Amino acid sequence: MSTSTAVTPDATPVSATLESTEIRSWKATIALGVFVVVALLLFVVLGRDGATTFRLSSESDVVQLADWVLPARSTGITVTVLLALLTAVVAVLTVAGSRLSARLRRVALAVSIVAFTFLFLLAFLAWAAAGESIPVTGLLLGTVSLSAPLIFGALGGVISERVGVVNVAIEGQLLAGAFCAALVASITGNPFAGLIAAMVAGVLVSFVLAAFSIKYLVDQVIVGVVLNVLVLGLTSFLYSTVLSQDTQNLNTAPRFPRFPIPVLSDIPIVGPVLFRQTLIVYLMYIAVIAVYIGLFHTKWGLRLRAVGEHPQAADTVGIRVNPTRFWNVSLAGAVAGLGGAYFTLDSVSSFGKDMTAGAGFIALAAVIFGRWNPIRATFAALLFGFATNLQNVLGAIGSPVPSEFMLMLPYVVTVLAVAGLVGYARGPAASGKPYIKS
Amino acid sequence: MTITTRRATLSGLASLGVIALLAGCGQAPEESGAGGGDAASDFTPCIVSDAGGFDDKSFNQASFEGITKAADSLGTEVTDVESETEDDYAPNITSLVDEGCDLIVSVGFALAEATKAAAEANPDTHFVMLDDNSIEAENVKPIIYDTAQAAFLAGYAAADTTETGTVGTFGGMQFPTVTIFMDGFADGVAYYNEQKGADVKVVGWDVDAQTGSFTGGFEQNDTAKQLATTLINQNADILLPVGGPIFISAIEAIRDSGKDVKMIGVDADLYETYPEGAEFFLTSILKQMSTGVEDVVTDAGNGEFDNAPYVGTLENEGVGIAPFHDFEDSVSETLQAELDEISAGIIDGSIEVTSPASPSAE
Repeated sequence: MSTSTAVTPDATPVSATLESTEIRSWKATIALGVFVVVALLLFVVLGRDGATTFRLSSESDVVQLADWVLPARSTGITVTVLLALLTAVVAVLTVAGSRLSARLRRVALAVSIVAFTFLFLLAFLAWAAAGESIPVTGLLLGTVSLSAPLIFGALGGVISERVGVVNVAIEGQLLAGAFCAALVASITGNPFAGLIAAMVAGVLVSFVLAAFSIKYLVDQVIVGVVLNVLVLGLTSFLYSTVLSQDTQNLNTAPRFPRFPIPVLSDIPIVGPVLFRQTLIVYLMYIAVIAVYIGLFHTKWGLRLRAVGEHPQAADTVGIRVNPTRFWNVSLAGAVAGLGGAYFTLDSVSSFGKDMTAGAGFIALAAVIFGRWNPIRATFAALLFGFATNLQNVLGAIGSPVPSEFMLMLPYVVTVLAVAGLVGYARGPAASGKPYIKS
Repeated sequence: MTITTRRATLSGLASLGVIALLAGCGQAPEESGAGGGDAASDFTPCIVSDAGGFDDKSFNQASFEGITKAADSLGTEVTDVESETEDDYAPNITSLVDEGCDLIVSVGFALAEATKAAAEANPDTHFVMLDDNSIEAENVKPIIYDTAQAAFLAGYAAADTTETGTVGTFGGMQFPTVTIFMDGFADGVAYYNEQKGADVKVVGWDVDAQTGSFTGGFEQNDTAKQLATTLINQNADILLPVGGPIFISAIEAIRDSGKDVKMIGVDADLYETYPEGAEFFLTSILKQMSTGVEDVVTDAGNGEFDNAPYVGTLENEGVGIAPFHDFEDSVSETLQAELDEISAGIIDGSIEVTSPASPSAE
């Protein structure tokens, strides 16, 4: 994290940065204060009796962890007190923080907020599932699964926006990837062929985006939106006219088998969640790391970011701006296409109309929430996946919250996270602006 | 290229709709005066789908089959329009009115508002409203199904068959046409518990609180799969997914879990219509849309249209449950006899099946 801040050219003067940090930390205190009030209301005033069982292992695990049983009411009270204390710590840090070094203060703040989030979540789960049990492994496994296409989409978005082209077409790239992966894998009977087809499909969508926005200087947001509608219409049409005619041969894709990594997959909790996955998820881990290192520690990344931040300067030192943009937007399409393959080659083995159902737009939100950084965007996607699956689990065990409100949970979390915690985010300076050589 | 064509078509359709609306108001009396006195062969039945389209392997498709059969027996042709999005409903209905349709079948309660508006504007055109009982008009006949009755039987069968003592259900969105299945299912399980002193648990739906598990859409995607996985993690070994193709995601979830989990289908006998997953289906809750639409359209073609709701029940076989097929030998021997008995009880009223979403509750 610190490396990235050091490398990213930051135009704001030092004093302004300090000022903005101070404003932001007050906001953190207030936000935490609000959560303490919520905790007080939910866990203490509206506290529920009964014990909540956290199941840490499933039957198939090698190392069996004992279930973790927490009494809902006393957990709620203890946690509320701890949350209040943490809020006080953050407030003190904000007031007297100037005595500490900026770096120390940032670390202290981050640790407090992470601890706060964890405790709040724990108490919330204990409260919502009082008298029931929560399968922790299942909750986290579902999180990874629901986040995977979002992470691929977000990576595609990061690459594309860092090079200076706004990528609203992530949804279209995912959908095209899902469609082509299902079709080609069904015809050839080979999921690897499907994977390649998905990447090609993503690239094709990117080609259109790149051609219109770079060569013909059309507004990039509009091209992206139109592409989404085009891909949706095209895949729905082909699904109705072609795929449904012969489902057996055209829309029954072989899925990638689960491939547990020896040793790693036996680690309790982490193993079954992260290392008992399919090839696509392992590719995702590699992609996140590769994009991060590539963007911030290679010549390719430096050029890419230069083109996105200040194309004129990049041009002056001899970087060919428009070709760089064109090929990197295509690369972004390939990455997002892989995310599409996840839908039909990992999750469900057949394509269905509009099966991405807005995942691309959430990926776009993750890009901004993650401030155009691949690692942070990944965490943003994971947060959304977690909220979605938490909603599933709470709905299934019969939580006291109405279903419609539960369905809003992931979106509310995303909005709160983007608006409350991130605040003002500065994108690549030249993102969305076509480069015209004068 | 495609974009421009699409746009042109859309705007063309929209303006057609406006013109049709204006023209329809002025012309309607004259046209239907001529239509009413004509022989049945001049009868033009029309149908408009919801956003699912007529190839949805579900209720749009079933309704289309029904109206086609009726038209064949009447010796006439069907005029059909597919809706792409929710914005198409009103223009599509209006353009059908303008084409001189005598009877317009609106498929799905999503079209209720548009149908109501069109019915008020064209009092001489007959409408058939599927899955919605909210319109009260001389020229609108609702076709509705008390699926809770059939779901009750399925719930009883599930409670009798489960080995873990937990069964689960989840829906696409919290619509009355979805929750009526879940209500009946949960009540069927409760009835079993009461009769046999058992303690089978339902996860995913709480009848009293009317809250439960929903995917938030009708797409067969990972959201639905993860929800099914969650229910399996809660120990459910029989799943009832309600809502179009989300059952396909549930099948994948069962395959991934490696556990012995069965499913109950909805609308059609999925053992027959989705052979890829036949081995998972304990039974299906049938909603005979095709016969309902066929009967009503045939009657209307013979000049016997009325606005009394057609309610599909166990009694008139508008709803029912499918055979156990592959599970015939593994379900308990007395189960079928017990189900027949309950079915008779529901028909004669000795067993009461109620649901807040049931047509009779309105």
